[in-house]
Amino acid sequence: MNKELEHSFVELLEKHQNIVHKVCRLYTNNQDAHNDLFQEITIQLWKAYPKFRGDAKFSTWMYRVGLNTAITLYRKSKRSIKTQEFESVSFKIQSVDYDDTEEQQLKLLYKAVHQLNDIEKALVFLYLEDKNYSEISETLGISEVNARVKMNRVKKKLRTILNP
Amino acid sequence: MDELELLKKDWQTNSTRDEVKLSSKEIYPMMHKKSSSIVKTLFYISVAELLFWIIINSIPYFSSEEYRADLAAMYGNGGVLLGLTIFSYAVILGFVYLLYKSYKSISVTDNAKRLMESIIKTRKIIKYYVIYNLVMAFLSMTFGLYYTIYENPEVSEQFAKFSDKQMFITMLIMVVAIAVFVLIFWVFYRIIYGILLSKLNRNYKELKKLEV
Repeated sequence: MNKELEHSFVELLEKHQNIVHKVCRLYTNNQDAHNDLFQEITIQLWKAYPKFRGDAKFSTWMYRVGLNTAITLYRKSKRSIKTQEFESVSFKIQSVDYDDTEEQQLKLLYKAVHQLNDIEKALVFLYLEDKNYSEISETLGISEVNARVKMNRVKKKLRTILNP
Repeated sequence: MDELELLKKDWQTNSTRDEVKLSSKEIYPMMHKKSSSIVKTLFYISVAELLFWIIINSIPYFSSEEYRADLAAMYGNGGVLLGLTIFSYAVILGFVYLLYKSYKSISVTDNAKRLMESIIKTRKIIKYYVIYNLVMAFLSMTFGLYYTIYENPEVSEQFAKFSDKQMFITMLIMVVAIAVFVLIFWVFYRIIYGILLSKLNRNYKELKKLEV
């Protein structure tokens, strides 16, 4: 691959790296796993980059590759699974002493999102990134109606986790 | 306020606040590291399987003259053995072609469901390849056993004293032993692929559930 292509890719990734960090933040529970996933997404982005035609925005294209890597291609390390179990336990303890301040609520919300399954996390992620249902359905390969229905279910599930 | 709206507000302003921004110098080496994705692992396993069965199929051609003569005698004449060998290599080549086409169709830029389907399709091709080889292994071992007992003078002499009932039981035990051996292979494959693709299968089921 030529240097020019490498250079343009690195420039774009450096500029939009927040998207990758956000995916990693949602799908991992510790810094090692975060770095691992970031590494794998970077490789997958670079491998697919020669076919990137520029007819879609680079950031939109990154959402798809990032989520596909996190949901399908990436294999969790044993270390990250252990941490996840630990965090679930700590969440349960904290939920007993529920404090209705905004900061506390946010903390619990982030922990609740971490308890969702991979597909639910993807829906929440795209929603938090302000993507419309048409984009969500295209990224996941489901119909727009099903994306809406699932999103409503996820909202209910989050409420149940927060108010058991 | 809706819980998710509160989260969205915070997510868009603070979610990467604590992340260390990588410089272009740090990104360059990351691009060229080796991938550890499931597709890559699946690729290595399928290549190992192709090689394994190619080696198994090639054993007659690397073994002694005596063994080859025995095999030729077992299949009636050299022509049948040659025909079977050509057939087995043609099947292997067919699978290589199908696997190549299938791997080429896996694209990380497809939507999540299509990407999962491409990987599942590839895994199915490998599964059919394994089933084909295990069935062939079972048939050839059973046929080889039958031939050895009835046609090999030294062995058939030993079994000559057996009554029909004893002979039937002996054959049954041996066929069951071959079947168990093949089954162990199959379970081993299922475990390997089960572990490798458990996350993918789980997520694919979740996406499919949405369509019901």
